[in-house]
This record gives sequence, C-alpha cells and structure tokens, in this order.
Amino acid sequence: MTLDTNIASNKAGASSIKKWTKSGSPMIWLTSGAVSISLIAVLGLLALIAWRGLVYFWPSTIYQFDVVNPKGQVEMVIGEVYETDMIPAQRLRENGHIIADGVTEVPSLLVKTGNREFVELDFRWLLSSTIKSQEVLPNLAVFERNKNGNFYGTIDSITVDSKKVTGDMPTLIETLDKSLERVEAFSDEADELQSGTINSINFKLERLRLQQRRFEIDNELTPDRASDLNAQRKALNDGYLVHEAALFKLRNAMTRDFVTVKDMRGELVDINLSNLLSFNLPNQMNVFTKAGHWFVNIGNFVMDDPREANTEGGVFPAIFGTIFMVMLMAVIVTPFGVVAAIYLHEYAKKGVVTKFIRVAVINLAGVPSVVYGVFGLGFFVYILGGSIDDLFYPEASPSPVFGSPGVLWSALTLAILTLPVVIVSTEEGLSRIPISLRQGSLALGATKAETLWKVIIPMASPAIMTGLILAVARAAGEVAPLMLVGVVKMAPTLPVDGNFPFLHLDRKFMHLGFHIYDVGFQSPNVEAARPLVFASSFLLVTVIVGLNMSAIRIRNILREKYRSLEH
Amino acid sequence: MINLERTNTELNNEEQLDLANLTDEQTAFSIENLDLHYGEKQALKGVSMRIPKGQVTAFIGPSGCGKSTLLRCLNRMNDLIDNCNITGEIKLEQHNIFDRNVDVATLRRRVGMVFQRPNPFPKSIYENVVYGLRLQGVKDRRRLDEAVEESLRGAALWDEVKDRLHDNALGLSGGQQQRLVIARAIAIEPEVLLLDEPTSALDPISTLVIEELITELKKKFTVVIVTHNMQQAARVSDNTAFMYMGELIEYSDTNTLFTTPAKKQTEDYITGRYG
Repeated sequence: MTLDTNIASNKAGASSIKKWTKSGSPMIWLTSGAVSISLIAVLGLLALIAWRGLVYFWPSTIYQFDVVNPKGQVEMVIGEVYETDMIPAQRLRENGHIIADGVTEVPSLLVKTGNREFVELDFRWLLSSTIKSQEVLPNLAVFERNKNGNFYGTIDSITVDSKKVTGDMPTLIETLDKSLERVEAFSDEADELQSGTINSINFKLERLRLQQRRFEIDNELTPDRASDLNAQRKALNDGYLVHEAALFKLRNAMTRDFVTVKDMRGELVDINLSNLLSFNLPNQMNVFTKAGHWFVNIGNFVMDDPREANTEGGVFPAIFGTIFMVMLMAVIVTPFGVVAAIYLHEYAKKGVVTKFIRVAVINLAGVPSVVYGVFGLGFFVYILGGSIDDLFYPEASPSPVFGSPGVLWSALTLAILTLPVVIVSTEEGLSRIPISLRQGSLALGATKAETLWKVIIPMASPAIMTGLILAVARAAGEVAPLMLVGVVKMAPTLPVDGNFPFLHLDRKFMHLGFHIYDVGFQSPNVEAARPLVFASSFLLVTVIVGLNMSAIRIRNILREKYRSLEH
Repeated sequence: MINLERTNTELNNEEQLDLANLTDEQTAFSIENLDLHYGEKQALKGVSMRIPKGQVTAFIGPSGCGKSTLLRCLNRMNDLIDNCNITGEIKLEQHNIFDRNVDVATLRRRVGMVFQRPNPFPKSIYENVVYGLRLQGVKDRRRLDEAVEESLRGAALWDEVKDRLHDNALGLSGGQQQRLVIARAIAIEPEVLLLDEPTSALDPISTLVIEELITELKKKFTVVIVTHNMQQAARVSDNTAFMYMGELIEYSDTNTLFTTPAKKQTEDYITGRYG
C-alpha cells in the first residue's frame, strides 16, 4: 500500500517536472536570470563608482582628536575621517599595544590631516584605542589651497592691507570672504592676462621666429623683410613688457593679504590669500548648505584645470581632450568606413577576393589595441608626421610639429581601430535595403551612383549611425594606443584656442582614461588620489554614455525618417 | 468562362491593328528572336513580336513562363542580374536597345516601369513624384509643382493626397502607394510604361482603380502589362500575348485570343485547364 503510493507520488513528481520542463518555464527562468545578472553587474558597477566618486565632493565633518602617542604624550590631530578599518587585536598586542582582554578587533581610522608642509604625510591611521577624546568643534575650518593641498585649523586673525583684523568668528569669516573675493578678482584678471594676452604674444613671437627661419632656409631674407620682422618683434616685445608689468602689479596686489590660522600643533600659520582657493566651516553647515557645496565642488571638478600633479583640482582638459579626440575620430572614420563598405557591397565582384577582404576587415577588429598604437607611432607619427614636417615645416626643425604624438594621430589611430565596426554595420545596413527600392530608382532613369546617393545611403544611415555608436563606444574607452600616439599627463594648452588657426591638431592632449591610470597608479599621493580615480571613472562613463546617447538619438530620428519598407 | 461582354464592346471601339504586319510607325517595340539564359537555364526561347504604340498589350501565362522576364528586357532591368545572357534584339523606335552606345539610364527614362509591389521611396509624396525630374536636373520649383499635380492627377491620386504632399509616402495605403509609383513613373513622361503585375499585391477595390487608370494611361503612353489574372488582361488590354515555358505561343488582339484562340495550349490555359 505504502509502496504503491510512493511509486504513484514519484510518478506524479516526475511527470510534473517533465510537464514543467515542457512548458518552457525553465528556459524563461534561465534567460531572464542571465539578463538579470548582467543588469545587476552593470548597475552595481555604476552605483559603486558613482557612490565612491561622488561622495568625495560632500563636505565632510572635521574632527579634533586627542591622541596618545607612543611616547605617552597627548597630541592633537585635526582632520576628516576617510575610512575605518578593523585590525585584529592579536596583531596589535604582538606589536606592543595594550589592548583590553576579550577584544578581538580594534577599529582604526584613516584621517586626512592636510597641512602637508608641516607633517610627513597628510594621511594618518589612528587606532581607536589611542584616541582619548574626539570633538566636532564648530570653528574648525578647511582651507583649499593652490599648493600643498588642504589646510585644517581655526582662523585666528586676518591681515588686510597690512592691517590685522581680529574679533569674533562671524566678523572674521565675513572679512575673509570679502578679501578672498577681491583677491580672486585679481587672480582671474591675472589668469586672463597670462593665458590670454601674454600667451597670444608668445605665440605670435614664435610665429615670427619661424617665419624668419623659413626665409633664411629659402635664402629669401632680404634686409627689408628682416627689418620688418624686427619691427614686428619689437612691437610685440614692447606690448609684452607692458602686460608683464601689469601682471606683476596684480600679483603683488594679490600677495598683500593673508589669513593666520592656528593649526593642530597649536602654532600660527600664515596662508597667503593668493594661495587660497576657498575655505569652509563644514561643522557649521546643515544638509542644504552641504548640498550646495557638493554641487559647487562637482562643478569645479568638471570645469577646473588639474593641480598638484593631477591629484587636486579638476579634469576639464581631460574631458575636453576625450570628447574632442573622439569627435575627430568619428569625423574621420565615418566617411572612410562608409565608402569602403559601399565598395565592398555595391561594386566589388562577389568572389573569393572580396570574401577574403571582408574576413580580413572583420578580423582587424580583433587585433589588440596597443598594436594599433605601435602602428600609429611608427606610421602616422614618424613616417607621415615626419614627412609633413620635412615638407611643410622645415623652419621648425629640429623640434617636430606633426612628427611627434598629437591629437590628430590619436584620432587617426583610433579611426583605424574602429574602422571594421563601421564597415561591418554599414554593409549590414546596405544589405537590408529592399531590392525593390533600388529597382524603383533605376527604373526612373537613375544611374547606380545616383541611386546610391539619393536612396540607398540615406536609408542605410541608421545602420551607419549604429556603426558610429559602436565605434565611439570603443574609441572613448581606449587608452593603451593613445599612450603611444598623443596622450600626456599634463597638457599645457588645449587643442583648440584663440590663436590662429584655432585648431591645433599637432598638440598633445589629456584623456580621462589616461588620467585615471595616471592618478591611480603614478600619483605620489595614493590616498588622496583614490577618490579622484572613482570620480574620474564615473565622469568617463558619463562622457561615453553622453556621446552614445546623442548618437542613438540621431539614429532614432533617422530610423523614424526612413522607416524601412518591411513587406 | 470569362465575362467579355463589357470589354468586347469597349474594344470594338478601338482601332484594330494587324499585329502581324505593323508598320514601323505603329510599332513601339520590335522584338526579334530573343533568347535569354539565366546561367544554364533558358528563360526565353526565340521570342519575336511587335508591340504596337498607344495601346495596352498584356502578357499572360502560368508562373515561370517568362512573361516578367520579357517585360524586364524592355527596359533592360535584367542587366542587374549577374549571370543573365541575352541574344537577339529589341528595337525601340528602330534602335536596338542592346547596342553598346545605348545609355541605360536614358532608355529607362523613355521606358518607365511599375513593379509588382508598391515601392515608394521613404520620402515625402512630393519628393517621390519629382525624383525622376530632379535626376534630370530640373530645379525650377514651379515646374516641379506642376509636374506633381499633373502626374498625381494622371494617376488618379491627386484628390486624395493634395493636402498632404509633404507627408511621408509610406503612410499611404497599398493601393495609393501603387498609384503614387505610377505617378512617379509618368512624371518623367516616358514613351512606354511597363507594368509588372501591378495589382497582385492589392485589394479588389484598389485593383479596380488601377485598372481604370490603365485605360486612361493608354491615351498618352504605350502600356505593356504582365498579369496572371486573365480577367484583368481581358478587361484592360487591346492585345494579349500568351506565353508558355519561355515561348510566345499566341499573340493577337485580346478579343480574338480570348474568344477564338488559335492554339490548343492557349485555349487550355484560358479555360483554366492548367496553369
């Protein structure tokens, strides 16, 4: 009886499993599971880098710790808590620390203490067992400086025009705000003068020098020309002297004021206002003021130039370089790839050779990108760039113009790298166009070329855009080849500026991907750089997503326009 | 069999031509000994016929008999097929269209074609109609506007689309699209209009509209139509050619062919015994 029921229930179980398998649900679970895992992976990655990157800009609380140092003295430490680590008590006991019995782990705090010029490291681990007390004082301020990173301390007094201002905290803050504003106005003016006017004069002087050199090489330097060049040079030099004097005057005006701060050693330190970018009292801020500062900080990160070997400041040149290079690449690769695809698909005879070429093109996509970098360096930079220099810029010799890595060569190298993607998707698009449309056009007396231009290519444009999207996605993320053909850690000038011819394709540029590598692995200050790595990564992803989104938007508009005739 | 009463009376009003002895002036196409091979397979075998000007000539026959292939020879659309070999000649106005110095684009401008399925370009109705004219370099806006109105009226579509000329042509119904394609073909004022089963993808009402249109079109153009629908051939054409297995079996005026076919094969086909 029991046996029978068992068999029966077994049978029922087996058949229900069979039924379940047959119903197709396992397949649905399997496929949807795969999609979910991919989705979770992508979202998790984005969430992690977004969180780690963006939290960096939130004004954090400044603590004042009283710490017992190994000598038994009490020492004051002021700073922000970066992270907390749990350290096994056993290990600490072995190192001579006195830890109460029964404690297995002791938290240890990583504190950013700043004040780099007075301490060995601006980061410090504090064992919680050595911390005697911990306070959040409202008057602790953080000073963001041009040089030497942050400074933490309490404002003691302010010296404006050699007059010392003391008083209660609100008066001090107000005075500091005012004089900082004034100094910033001076500093903006000085920057404008330096990077605008003076830079432009230098650029013109260099051009004059090259012009003269050119005449000398061609043996055309007549006395007339020489005196003309000299006159121009003199005019520029005179202008330079005037501007330089103005610049020095501004600089002087900037350095008159300073703020005196009491640091954690209890000593008074003068910070010159020309070295001060901003100051905050985060312990007095509420959530909303903090949010305001958070946005300001992000804005500065996106819009400012980097400082202190890229470990401070913003990444604007890197963002600009990335976008500029990718767009230049897109402009090069699209026509090139489309033309190649049209030849392969429309004109080439369908034979073994065409097949071979097609396979070769597809396989090009599998070549490691750094190989393209080597090719770009060998062919574009040395051979092509070298020849261009010999032919057109003999006056600049021995310093290269196009014969050294630059943004043009980077764009060309990446264009070759992404060419297969564009060719393959364009060909796919061409083959999807119904033959009836070609016939329709030909039957109206159009030649093959006219049919291509007026019907086929417009209709294939969504597919071309798809190729471009894939190309942009790949190119924006490439770093390895760029290190050989044009990316640098710090580019003094952008590839686009106000000096004729405005577009300087021979210049080296900065790139977000390389910036991440540089900050994360080549930086002298690893702890300070880590949040910047996350922030830059998040920015790079944002930039790539942004580029892709705009391309996808264009594609969708085109798709709507050329809704395919699906018969 | 087929209701021929209406068509007969209409046809009787037409000028009856002696198809066997057409003068050159009466001939649009003169086909001589045309053989066509797709690779190894012979699709047309020694076809010779004269297609009269200003009339509607229909090619009928079972599927794969070569009627569409023959039609496509008339504007050299078969050139697009890789392994297609043609011998013999086709003369349009006494000139062999296979001559080396014939420009295919010019030939196709003179011999327009409408396909089985409507194939408007994914552009506006207006741009579809002026496509051929723009190819010829016509830029004058007024001339283009006039051509659009005239062609769309000629294709019996004007009243339906005059308020949305700049809408996408793909928004039209199948029957309207086919008429648009006809308008596009007649906008460049060809001498001959080839229709390759123009109504096979359409509903009965659209078919009726197109058939009425064909009778209008022949006032201005020579029309050659391929159809698998014998009633349609009987309704719209003046002359009918029956083809079978790549050969031209019988060719005479529609009335004669459908009422007193000379060949047994023709009779079998039109009475529905095979095909």
